[in-house]
Amino acid sequence: MPDDAIAAHALAKRYGRIGALQDLTLRVARGECLGFLGPNGAGKSTAVKMLVGLVRPTGGAAEVLGKPVGDRATRARIGYLPELFRYPDWLAAREVLAFHARLLRLRDAARAIDTVLDEVGLRERAGDRVGTYSKGMQQRLGLAVALLGAPEIVFLDEPTSALDPVGRSDVRALIERLRARGTTVFLNSHLLGEVERVCDRVCVVDRGRVVAQGTVEALTGATRGVRVRLDDGWREFDCAPAEIPDVIARLVREGARIHAVEPNQTTLEDRFLALVAHA
Amino acid sequence: MNVVLFAVLTLRELVRRRLVAAVALLTLVIVAFTAWGLHRLATAVVDGAPIADAGVRGTAAGIVIMLAFLFSFVVALGAALVGAPAMAESIANGEILAVLARPVRRAEVVLGRWLGTVLALAFYIAVAGGLELLVVRVTTGYVPPQPLTALAYLAGVAAVVTTAAIALAARLPALAAGIVSALLFGLAWIGGIVEAIGLALGNARLADAGTIVALIFPTDALWRGALYALQPAVFGALAANANANGTVVNPFSVTSPPPPALIAWACGWVVAVLAAGVAAFRTRDL
Repeated sequence: MPDDAIAAHALAKRYGRIGALQDLTLRVARGECLGFLGPNGAGKSTAVKMLVGLVRPTGGAAEVLGKPVGDRATRARIGYLPELFRYPDWLAAREVLAFHARLLRLRDAARAIDTVLDEVGLRERAGDRVGTYSKGMQQRLGLAVALLGAPEIVFLDEPTSALDPVGRSDVRALIERLRARGTTVFLNSHLLGEVERVCDRVCVVDRGRVVAQGTVEALTGATRGVRVRLDDGWREFDCAPAEIPDVIARLVREGARIHAVEPNQTTLEDRFLALVAHA
Repeated sequence: MNVVLFAVLTLRELVRRRLVAAVALLTLVIVAFTAWGLHRLATAVVDGAPIADAGVRGTAAGIVIMLAFLFSFVVALGAALVGAPAMAESIANGEILAVLARPVRRAEVVLGRWLGTVLALAFYIAVAGGLELLVVRVTTGYVPPQPLTALAYLAGVAAVVTTAAIALAARLPALAAGIVSALLFGLAWIGGIVEAIGLALGNARLADAGTIVALIFPTDALWRGALYALQPAVFGALAANANANGTVVNPFSVTSPPPPALIAWACGWVVAVLAAGVAAFRTRDL
């Protein structure tokens, strides 16, 4: 479909006899934020690398922004933060970005560089060599590189792996801003809470295969039962989600004093663990 | 355009990582040591009399050839140790991932790395070689017949070893690519000796084996070009005489420059091996 930012059909990668990824079929609409989840070794990074043209598929086909994966001109419209992020430690952050700006043939490179430095909070240290940066700062630089030139789609492979809680919160806010601008985000992450908060849809892969796909709401949401805290502590009531108001009303009628109500929820983590339970 | 960008990046890295400063310092020490030694030769007194000018220059000519021989090894090792990491390190540590996700051809990375390394080595050869020859001239008054041609041949040696190192590093780790290309250089030198021995002894098989090695890795032919450009005419005549008599094989003198066909072969070899390196890198999953 023309509005798809990513359209993959039966995409596969084998390394000899080992199938790193099998039969990946997915669509990501433009402006959508997709969470790509899976345990270690599930094939997530391989999938991302195939979509940005670093790894050649051994089966299937995929298009990014309407062009076959790896198309050189299209790569100017893609941002990518690798899982193994590393930048020349003998260059300053601003020099790293200037190098990428030249590869992208950006016209107003200085302004574009300042914009992304502000975006990731690195402006003040931009003149320092990368070798003096903490791992978290290097990851921020990686994000700045990925965002340079206002790409239409951004692939973020574990963007918060080296960040502290403040940094993670910053990245969440950054992804929200990207969504607001209409940038498509392909988020590869182990942090399920993070994905649950910022993604529209989720794709779960396990042992090289897609095991679930859908909106966050479809994969999570209310389930049967509710926990209520009364004067004497927590009590659990079995009921359908729609029956919760009736249960509460009955308790009030019976004179119970209600301090808290917690409908039972299936979190993304619950669902994820159920899907990859073999591990 | 991107080729130049990667070449400049390679050169900047060499400067920033202080390799240039370290090599410059070491070269100055060697040049100073050479100057001291040659000055002592020129002012030496033997049997109460200074050595005749002709004697000093003849000795200086021999020393220049020995220095050039050692220099060719330094240049070849430098090419292997600079060229291989220039290509392989950014692949191994992941720096290349974000770069190749840009609208960049992989060939541009290979050619840029090659160009940057060859330019750095050519600059080093020009400066260090030029300084040494200047020192020889100032201290002894000796100037080899074709000093610039000799330096150009040595740059050719650097280009061949760099080509091998970078082509191998498109697939192999830096250490393996560097060691293999340095070993190939050593093998080529041994091949040259074998060829010379074969010719001197009239053993065609031995000579052919040496020729085959020279074709597989053409550094020895280029070294012989440098040697021919540095040696005084009398050295070549003595070598020709020795060959005619089938007496002594001297690896430090030659009777003729490498034929143009061999130079053309070396140029074609560089292009072909570089193309193979590009093909290897283009098909590599990262």
